[in-house]
Amino acid sequence: MADLVSWRDAAESEMRALGRELQVPPAGDITAAVRQRLERPAPGHGQSHVLRDSIARRRRGWRAVLVAAAVILALLIATPAGRAVISHVFRFVGIEIRQQPGPVRSPPASAPLPGQRGTSLAQARRQVAFPVLVPAALGKPDEVLVSGGGRVVSLIYRRTPNGTVRLDEFSGHTDRIVFEKFGHVSKLRDVTVHGREGLWIKGPQELVYITPKGRPAFASARLTTGNTLIWGTWRVAVRLEGSLSQATAIAIADSAR
Amino acid sequence: MLVARYTLRAHRAAFLLGAGQEADDVVQEAFVKAFRYLPRFRAGEPFAPWLLRIVANETKNLTRSRRRRAALTARLSAAESASSAADLPAEVVLATERRARLVAAVNELPDVLRRAVVCRYFLELSETETAHMLGWPLGSVKSRTSRALNRLRGLLVPGEQDRVSSG
Repeated sequence: MADLVSWRDAAESEMRALGRELQVPPAGDITAAVRQRLERPAPGHGQSHVLRDSIARRRRGWRAVLVAAAVILALLIATPAGRAVISHVFRFVGIEIRQQPGPVRSPPASAPLPGQRGTSLAQARRQVAFPVLVPAALGKPDEVLVSGGGRVVSLIYRRTPNGTVRLDEFSGHTDRIVFEKFGHVSKLRDVTVHGREGLWIKGPQELVYITPKGRPAFASARLTTGNTLIWGTWRVAVRLEGSLSQATAIAIADSAR
Repeated sequence: MLVARYTLRAHRAAFLLGAGQEADDVVQEAFVKAFRYLPRFRAGEPFAPWLLRIVANETKNLTRSRRRRAALTARLSAAESASSAADLPAEVVLATERRARLVAAVNELPDVLRRAVVCRYFLELSETETAHMLGWPLGSVKSRTSRALNRLRGLLVPGEQDRVSSG
């Protein structure tokens, strides 16, 4: 034990010395670039160029769509109160995800989206401009809701083996819907759905619907249940929410037609 | 402008945390965010820790999205670059080899442990500063630093692999 302690002490001081010997290239002068970027109006919600670009690179086929599209769905992933630092912003299938404090502390377990109405699947398909995907793995939904004047279709399954499962679908790339989410960014993981990239978000977050004018609809704020999977085709983006394992969620998503 | 004053520290942090050649991009991004969200910044709070925290996050996002981090290398000392190893005193050769092995071992650490080592030893931050920069609880800084040291011992001291496998 004694030799372990002395090894550690020696290693600690050796590493501090090493730190001063590490090769670090000279820093570039970024002052002008920073000033130039700050003088331009904040793009959208201030998304990260580094991150957005790296994601766009990985998603070449989507790039034009992503750049051209307005903000459609945004998830704000918040740090706990008191740590009000934006530290992560990026976009995914027209979804903007960031980490920042949320406007709602303890939202109700469920809150309706604006203009939410129950309808049938067939009617919902006539009311919206994007294809409504239904996962074969879940079958016919117990409830179909159309909200925001046809901007969101929600499929609710109440009696799955995993409890209630919810899908929110929207025209991912041309519309301007914004959801805000609050959680922690360490819960995000890249996954593959149908050969396309998807995003797996572990654990509940606060979710808020944002109006076409970009304002949060506070009455819609709620805590999501279980985990969330987000993916999209070029015509429709989907968020799947429920107490599902990652594998189950992906299997459900893969079965969506 | 604040940028000039903090660039060196931010750049060094980004580089050592694994941003490599993209350290300048990370720092640029961090400054833009820091200024853009300045209204959220609490008055009286020092700017540097806040900026470094954004830098750490941006670097993490970058290394995660490209699924690799840049390896660290030790600078060649003046003595090494000036003459061949044969001309150097034995102690210098040994010290150089030892340092190279240590850098290689740090490069082999899992991400989380390497972040702890970089902040605590290479950036010479306190445990509290490290916790703030990486957004970790203080306890995690202590335990991860300790695990990193165990792991390094396993990598560097012959016959230690089995003893530290739980670390």
